[in-house]
Amino acid sequence: MGIALGAGLAVSIAGLGGGVGMGMAGGKAIEAIARQPEVGGDVRTLMFITFAFIETLTIYGLLIAFMLVGKM
Amino acid sequence: MIFGMWDATYFHLGPIPVDHIIVTEWAIIAVIGLIAYFATRNMQVVPTGLQNAFEMIIVWTYDFFTQLMDKEHVAKKWAPVLTTFFLFILLSNYSGLIPGAARIEGFQPPTSNWNVTMTLALITFFSVHVAGFSENGMHYLGHFISPNPLMLPLNLLEEVTHPLSLTVRLFGNIFGEEMVIAYMLFMVPFFIPMALMGLSVLLGAIQAVVFTILSASYIAAATGEGH
Repeated sequence: MGIALGAGLAVSIAGLGGGVGMGMAGGKAIEAIARQPEVGGDVRTLMFITFAFIETLTIYGLLIAFMLVGKM
Repeated sequence: MIFGMWDATYFHLGPIPVDHIIVTEWAIIAVIGLIAYFATRNMQVVPTGLQNAFEMIIVWTYDFFTQLMDKEHVAKKWAPVLTTFFLFILLSNYSGLIPGAARIEGFQPPTSNWNVTMTLALITFFSVHVAGFSENGMHYLGHFISPNPLMLPLNLLEEVTHPLSLTVRLFGNIFGEEMVIAYMLFMVPFFIPMALMGLSVLLGAIQAVVFTILSASYIAAATGEGH
């Protein structure tokens, strides 16, 4: 019971933070591209790098969740 | 098999157990090698067919890495390694999407295993330092004590975190995606997992691109000036 709850919380809290961060980053990137379409390629590359960094933190939560489920 | 371990060791090559992951990697290397072999056989000045496609890809990757890494000779030097990363990771990620792959025992994308992603990240790790030393010589050591020597522990920690985060990112994404599809197949056997598999086509490509771009930017940071 406790382990299941912990696994759920790990992935949901990690996902919450990552989602908020990605939404902000993506929104700002789209704003930048809309304002200056000629730098679209650069902004897109940087956006993906940023996404990768944010996503890693979410993935840490997911890994912990899988480890916890494995212990059940 | 919660960590995706089938434990299917086929035979031993000396002290190394050869399992399904290594066999899948060999198959991927063989596929890339065969396509490259057929593309480069009797090359012509005016390219046609497969050679044309490959020349387009190579020119495109050189342009892309030059733009990303600022220095053209560094980009030219490291583009083959980085492009190989991309092709290998892409095919590895997609090898789990072959129809029926989940049903065959011992069929699993190599990138959903710690060891494979750790190996790839360590190749990046060594490439970064080799690139730094070959570009800046002994001045490269200066970047460990920039902006001042007090930052030395943090800079060293950063060098360890880079390969670690590359490892966990690739492994976690592909393994998580495989696990989610497996759970979905267990709960709803038909149609619903198809949407997830469609998503994982996108995800596999993005992860391959991200690994390549991050490796390129680490190499660019090591070879850049002002360190």
